[in-house]
Amino acid sequence: MLATVLAEVAPFVRPHIDWHAVAPELTLLAVGAILTLIDIVWLERGRKLTSSLAGFGLLLPLIPIVTLAVSDSDTRVMFDGAYVIDDYSLVLKAMFLLTGYVVVLLSTNYIGEGDYWENEYYGLLVSSILGMVVMASSRDLISIFVALELLSIPAYMLATWRKRDVRSNEAGLKYYLMGVFASAIMLYGMSLVYGVAGSTLLTEINAALSEGGSSEAVVTLGIVFVVVGFAFKVSAFPFHTWSPDTYEGAPTPVTAFLAVGSKAAGFVALMSLVVVGFLGRDDVFGPLFWVLAAGSMTFGNVMALRQKNIIRLMAYSGVAQAGFMLAPLAVAGTGGTSADTSISAILTYLLIYAAMNLGAFAVIISVARKTETAELESYNGLFTTAPVLAVFMTLFLASLAGIPPLGGWFAKFSVFTALTNADTGAGYALAVVAAINAVVAFGYYGRLALRMWVEEPYLGDKAPIKVPVALGFALVLTAVITVAFGVYPPVATHFTDVTLVAGV
Amino acid sequence: MVAQNIFFGIMAAIMIWAALRVVTTKNVVHAALWLVIVLAGVAGQFLLLGAEFVGVTQILVYIGAVVVLFLFGIMLTRASMGEDENVNLPNRIVPATVGVLLFGLMAFATIDYWRDAELPKDGSPTTVEAVSDSIFSDFIVPFEATSVLLLAALIGAIVVARKE
Repeated sequence: MLATVLAEVAPFVRPHIDWHAVAPELTLLAVGAILTLIDIVWLERGRKLTSSLAGFGLLLPLIPIVTLAVSDSDTRVMFDGAYVIDDYSLVLKAMFLLTGYVVVLLSTNYIGEGDYWENEYYGLLVSSILGMVVMASSRDLISIFVALELLSIPAYMLATWRKRDVRSNEAGLKYYLMGVFASAIMLYGMSLVYGVAGSTLLTEINAALSEGGSSEAVVTLGIVFVVVGFAFKVSAFPFHTWSPDTYEGAPTPVTAFLAVGSKAAGFVALMSLVVVGFLGRDDVFGPLFWVLAAGSMTFGNVMALRQKNIIRLMAYSGVAQAGFMLAPLAVAGTGGTSADTSISAILTYLLIYAAMNLGAFAVIISVARKTETAELESYNGLFTTAPVLAVFMTLFLASLAGIPPLGGWFAKFSVFTALTNADTGAGYALAVVAAINAVVAFGYYGRLALRMWVEEPYLGDKAPIKVPVALGFALVLTAVITVAFGVYPPVATHFTDVTLVAGV
Repeated sequence: MVAQNIFFGIMAAIMIWAALRVVTTKNVVHAALWLVIVLAGVAGQFLLLGAEFVGVTQILVYIGAVVVLFLFGIMLTRASMGEDENVNLPNRIVPATVGVLLFGLMAFATIDYWRDAELPKDGSPTTVEAVSDSIFSDFIVPFEATSVLLLAALIGAIVVARKE
């Protein structure tokens, strides 16, 4: 019976899999499996090893990434273009893995001392990063969606990892509810786009949407819904409402991970979708990103000026920074080289933002180890109690504000280049909005820096702050990258000068 | 196609009635049970379109798992299972308006584009074999990613839910 049924079915064609190309993903998968197995086999004895294993494990996939980068074949395409390994995706994969490594460094003491579920914490962190790594190569609606869920669902649970703290429960629940709501909207948009294009491949979607002609409402609605879904992920105004509460309640290393890793993953999805999938419909996504970018920059900065808690300040400043990163997408479809310059600008911004933001969070975690609060007042007189930390924090804040010669300056510069390069009225207008906002941002970053250098120490407590080795290493690493990218920008552009054209 | 159109109309009418009951009933358990009818209607519509795999999956996942999860959730967290006057929002106008507007927008876009579209008359329905073939060939990466996702979700859910 079964044999006759099987005989009628068309023979199954084995898919072509380039094992070298998927080696980074497989290595990371193995690391996650080993971490889980160690917990099962060794129980409590494995606890001391877990964080260092997770750290080195996240660096391990960099080896196949380097061999892929230097190998002869430039672009490896699998499954008719659903999964692409090119320079763009390799740079992003390396960035996600290094971000994960720094987050492990930030977590080592925090998670180890707080009596958390350590092994499971690192297991979830690795699987979330696996989702980001898959996202970097996905050029297909289904892969993008699954990668998004793989990186989000562990993050929802990590946000609620301080189980006994009601604020952490609130953080996780809020993040989860807003996240699944956004996913639902995005899926609806994807189904409309698929309905028009008849394919989930982004290249074929671009062909179908471009030829479709003028102004079908369904295409507009589909693109808007998909972009809105990711706007939640990157916490762009007006879809940012979850971020201050979630950032405040979640364990601080997880906050750093959300602020850098999952935000960057959302941008990666947006870049792939817009530049490979929707590029022909500039009339739809151009104005949409213009509004999102201008709104995020302005609203994020205005709200950040009023915050009294450093984590909430970082959350709103993150909304503003997301606005800067969204801005190049508004002009990505104006023809010429604008798609390439926009992608390069966003990549540059993402790399530098990851370094300086993780650095700032490393200082926040170090300071909170002593003060046990996140109020801005606890930074008063930091220079007296911990001069080295104060110098590091000033460096990261100056970089976030965009003061030369630090990395943040070059990040903002590439965004302005991309906006003016498009040579359209909308591009110049957005550049003006961005310039005004860059000045406003000095307000709160500068005030925080002033607190550290001018004010008297918080509660008159002049005891020094001890920084553990792992946190210290994270500080040095991020500071070196922040300074190097700013002082000698070719270091950054060497990696970010990639093309992501439709029709790979 | 005529028979399918008639059945589509009947099922759609039942689904709309049930969906209205989901939001108007004062008993949470009844709301979950009305939802079963809505979801079963969706499964029926898939079967009418010849998408047997999606239809059966709809029944298994939504009725078999999601609604049962709802009922367990209600059972484990609420003392009273009867009618509750506070279950409906006092200010229903705003969400209702948003819902109606969104429905109008989506209905307009869908009808505007697919008004004259027809299912291919000679096209064979998507079979389970075709679905499984594409899962294990073109969509192998998302499939494997999903298995990692399920394991991670399981581990995380146990940690979050278990007693200290």
